Amino acid sequence: MSTRLLFSVAVALAAGVTVAAAEEKPILIGVPVGLSGANSVVAPSVVQSSELAVEEINKAGGVLGRKLALEIADDGSGAAGAQKAFDSLIYAKKVDVLISMETSAARNAGLPAITKGRKPYVYTSFYEGKSCNKNMFVDAWVPEQQVPPVVDAFNKHKGAKTYFLIGSDYAFGRGMLSFARGYIEKTGGKVVGEEYLPMDGSDWTSIISKLKEAKPDALVTSTAGGAPNVTLTKQLRGAGVSLPFANLAVDEGTAKSMGKDAEGVYLSASYVTGIDSPENKAFLTAMKAKFGEALRTPNDLSVPQYEAIYLYKAAVEKAGGTDTAKVIEALPGVSFTGPRGVITMSKQHHAPLTMYLSQVQADGAVNVVGTFKNVDPGDQCPKLN
Amino acid sequence: MLLILDIMTTAAILFVVAIGLLAIFGVLKIINFAHGAWLTIGAYCAVVTAQLGFNPWLALPLAFLVGGALGGLAELFIIRPLYRRPLDAILATWGLGIVIGQLITLGFGRDVQFTPNLLSGTVTVLGTDYSAYRLVALAAALVIGVAFAATMEGTRLGLSARAVIMNETLARGLGIDTARVRLITFMIGAGLAALAGVLLTPLTSVDPTMGVGWLIGAFMLVMVANGSLLALAIACLLFGAAQVLISTFVSPILGSIAIAILAALVLRVSPKGFARA
Amino acid sequence: MRNDAPALATAAPGRWRLSSAAPILVAALAAAALWVAPSVLDPFATNVLTRSMIYAVLAVTVDLLWGFMGALTFGQAAFFGIGAYAAAMLLGQYGGAPQWMAAALGLAVAVPAALGLAVGWLSFYHRSTALYASVVSLVVPIVVVQLIYSGGEWTGSSSGLVGFDVLPFEIEGYFRLAAIVMVAVTLAAWVFARSDAGRALVAVRDNDARCAYLGLDPKRLQVVMTTVLAGVAGLAGFVFANASGVVAPENAGFLFGTELVIWVALGGRGTLLGPVLGTIGIDYLGANLSGDLPFLWQLLLGATFVAVIILLPGGLAEIAKRAFAVLPSKGAEETAPRLVARPPKPIQVASEHPLLTVSGLAKSYGSLKVLENIDLAIRPGELVSLVGPNGAGKTTLMRCLSDGTEPISGAITVDGAPIAGLAPDRIVALGVGRKFQVASVFESLTVAECLLLARASQDGLSLVGQAGTLSLPQAALDVMRMTGLDRLLGTSVRLLSHGQKQALELSMVVALEPRIILLDEPTAGLTKAERTTIGTVLKTLTSDLGIAAVLVEHDLDFVREISSRIVVLHQGRLVLDGTVDEVVGSELVKTIYSGGGHD
Repeated sequence: MSTRLLFSVAVALAAGVTVAAAEEKPILIGVPVGLSGANSVVAPSVVQSSELAVEEINKAGGVLGRKLALEIADDGSGAAGAQKAFDSLIYAKKVDVLISMETSAARNAGLPAITKGRKPYVYTSFYEGKSCNKNMFVDAWVPEQQVPPVVDAFNKHKGAKTYFLIGSDYAFGRGMLSFARGYIEKTGGKVVGEEYLPMDGSDWTSIISKLKEAKPDALVTSTAGGAPNVTLTKQLRGAGVSLPFANLAVDEGTAKSMGKDAEGVYLSASYVTGIDSPENKAFLTAMKAKFGEALRTPNDLSVPQYEAIYLYKAAVEKAGGTDTAKVIEALPGVSFTGPRGVITMSKQHHAPLTMYLSQVQADGAVNVVGTFKNVDPGDQCPKLN
Repeated sequence: MLLILDIMTTAAILFVVAIGLLAIFGVLKIINFAHGAWLTIGAYCAVVTAQLGFNPWLALPLAFLVGGALGGLAELFIIRPLYRRPLDAILATWGLGIVIGQLITLGFGRDVQFTPNLLSGTVTVLGTDYSAYRLVALAAALVIGVAFAATMEGTRLGLSARAVIMNETLARGLGIDTARVRLITFMIGAGLAALAGVLLTPLTSVDPTMGVGWLIGAFMLVMVANGSLLALAIACLLFGAAQVLISTFVSPILGSIAIAILAALVLRVSPKGFARA
Repeated sequence: MRNDAPALATAAPGRWRLSSAAPILVAALAAAALWVAPSVLDPFATNVLTRSMIYAVLAVTVDLLWGFMGALTFGQAAFFGIGAYAAAMLLGQYGGAPQWMAAALGLAVAVPAALGLAVGWLSFYHRSTALYASVVSLVVPIVVVQLIYSGGEWTGSSSGLVGFDVLPFEIEGYFRLAAIVMVAVTLAAWVFARSDAGRALVAVRDNDARCAYLGLDPKRLQVVMTTVLAGVAGLAGFVFANASGVVAPENAGFLFGTELVIWVALGGRGTLLGPVLGTIGIDYLGANLSGDLPFLWQLLLGATFVAVIILLPGGLAEIAKRAFAVLPSKGAEETAPRLVARPPKPIQVASEHPLLTVSGLAKSYGSLKVLENIDLAIRPGELVSLVGPNGAGKTTLMRCLSDGTEPISGAITVDGAPIAGLAPDRIVALGVGRKFQVASVFESLTVAECLLLARASQDGLSLVGQAGTLSLPQAALDVMRMTGLDRLLGTSVRLLSHGQKQALELSMVVALEPRIILLDEPTAGLTKAERTTIGTVLKTLTSDLGIAAVLVEHDLDFVREISSRIVVLHQGRLVLDGTVDEVVGSELVKTIYSGGGHD
């Protein structure tokens, strides 16, 4: 009798505790993202995958008994907007963590707020690499991970010796191509041309003429997402260029919207919808079930977002709470197996990733033609080690 | 040879893009900063044509009509009150451009839109493989230029327009309905801008902000042309050549701002640009 | 130096009125309120408003350039961006030690100011148009942003710069810094705009040709303003770089430049406070709303902007003004300065030495010859009437006499000095005053302010205050008294009648104390009484003061009454030059005026 009483008291207490925990205010995840401006093309898919991750985690009991909740803020896809969005999330909404993809300028614009406001930030966009901040963690690719699969494949399967590089004149474009040039030269190839156009430039005429005169074996481009990708591809096709062509900055969705013009283009990514793994299939099924007709195709920006929320969950559980200092200490080493495979945060705040080389087909489908396991990001932030 | 073709076709594209702005500036002395938005409207006409399953070339007349009709509305409600305030007209049309961009975004989304190719492939010109569509653009520039010149020289409307350009008070005194001339000119200019938007679709991405990038270049060319069609053709050729040559031999980045800088310098030296006669 | 009048007339002290103290009082209150604000605001509002206030500084500079001076500019963003980048690059390189912080501040002001000087020189030159200045202001941010993109590690390209040392403040400190800078810049702008020199800005906007013909150099004023305000924009950039800890290419971009213009337009151009409050209000509202309605916010802003430009050019300040206009306010006359006569210049003795000579003058537009082979000499005290049918070249001749940059052949001298290549303001300095056919005055100013500007080339203008007295030569006072203008000193020019405007322009030209006065149909559209008055004035000027006058006139009766000599132009040639009797009696003149004189 007494033991039963004790037991029931214990149950009641435990229940009371969990009830209290459930009523505790949720862990707030801030997502500053470009709902308007250039990134508004991809932003809805990022929001959708965040919503799925939060729903799944909450259904499974939350994090340390607390629910997760999202706070979305528009950054207008620019630096000035990002300052407002980060301020709003950190100071007005008082979020516990920020998780999102951003342009490099917007990310940099947000970093001072992250530091001053003492919040962890998981950056989920591929970028040109080597951005280091005590509070920032990256679970997307950097040039060291993305370029080698392309160049290796062109070297090996296309017998490419000479390369022509075309980019948009901005940090990502220049960063990617300068790494590509180094890697091409290291693997015995030769770069016969490297040309840039301003980000808002739309007339590639002269560059294409130079390309035709240089007669390279392969073409590698790194143009800004959206318009420049499309204008360059259209004009290349118009000029009848049919070289092996890898685009380091095009995503699956854009490739599809370009129609026939994108046929044959190679892209290298850590996520494509065609990844053949149980995690990816489960993820795609869950996304379809949750969003139905409104589903935005998951992509190399929205999937890292999904996984980053799980990585943060793991870190909070490891740290035993949302205290920023403890979470930051806990994040290196946490791991999650998601649609892209196993993602483990490194001490240098980046993550080794499995990379997929794919090719766009005539019908717009993107087929995986090569898989590269656990490509290391190399030394990104040795000082954070 | 490649270089010459590049120069000719670049000039042609610039001409096609700028002529709508020129028509309006020439007669109304108003700079339509919503020109970029009208290019965008034209390109979305191509998107709609494709969605409805029509022949992509049908987008050309459709864009001219839609652009002209919307231009008429803009003239009546926005431009007309501002004839005496040309600098304010720049601002109001810029604001109109923002509004149109956002409306297109709300209607079609921010994404890049798919448009079918008007013409693909290359043709061999004197031993050089060259984009067939760029040659079409060259032809289109010639057709539009000649048609525009013929309208100005050979029709009643053109005569009235020229009278308004020379001396508006006098024109009104001669019984010309100057308000109507302005309305129709604005509609033609807007229609030509939309037409140019369709002609750009095989070369550029179609998205709600696509027009802005073309606006400054077109604006500079029209300033240098100072309202004269012939001067515009010359300006397009010279500046197009400068852009291609600088892009080819110096740097495409410098080439892309060449038109803006050269135009500013030309205007400093000769305020009437290439239209001295 | 050119002023040979006694010192007592020039050093008139500014009147100290309550309204003069108002700006300082308002500024002090605003500064105090903003100083304590961070303790009640939450960190989000503090941060957002810090940036809004920095943007408001830029809005003030745009308002001075566009609202007051009439030069629509998109370029202030470029100067702001350059200031911010200069500070960020230096602080990133050398760290934030006090001496480097000071250097960063200096650089952030000096580099934009230097570029501003270049841009100003490019934008404003004799005969430049307002549109051209806007064109240049468009090109500048495009070029600057391209430079930033191409700057690689130096500028951080598209990623901007982050992680440089900044002033060691908390967010409240930055808020206060931004607030102080904003209040100080706005106060300075306000005091300047209300000062006599500030009125010159408005004069340049209204009528820069008239400014030049008052001996002022409007282009120099425009260049100086562009330079100084580029420096102020750079200062705002320095504060921005420190407060935000990051600089990005879009801070210097053309789109940001257009945003500034939108804020100023909505707030109310030409009111300073309107743009300041407009900027803060819209930017703050945008920060709060744009997250919830990203596209709708832009749509609303764009639509409001278009509507305000068309329907309410004065912006929201216009509404506020109308609301306050219901309240009683003191009359304008009360604020007008007191009229004082200045001692006359020594009278020019009528001599045989000509004051103005024209020899072999010819001018053509393309193949059309407008003037041919004109020889003319005019002596002190002469009143020469230039007559001839329409298209004879009379106005062209007047223009050639007063603007040395007109391309001509032949030579023109004033008091022996050739005027070839001299801009109108330099010729005014030689002693030539010109009155235009259509009254050329400053519509937005008061009668007193117009006259003050007429004296500015000789007496200077106060940068901070308003002159308490208006000292004019007796002749100008006479014109005003005869036409009743002396009782309308505080009246806005736009309220004057046609005749009163003609009289005002004549007073302004006479106030220049010219030695030669050029008048293009001064009596057109005037009543008989007004014509008589003008006639009397001209006779007094020439016979009593020894001024030479050249008059274009159609009214032959009037010409006959007042002239000492008549010159007849026909088809660009000087066909007759003689006394009143000689010319009036000549057969040639009768033939010309009856329209038959083609051979």
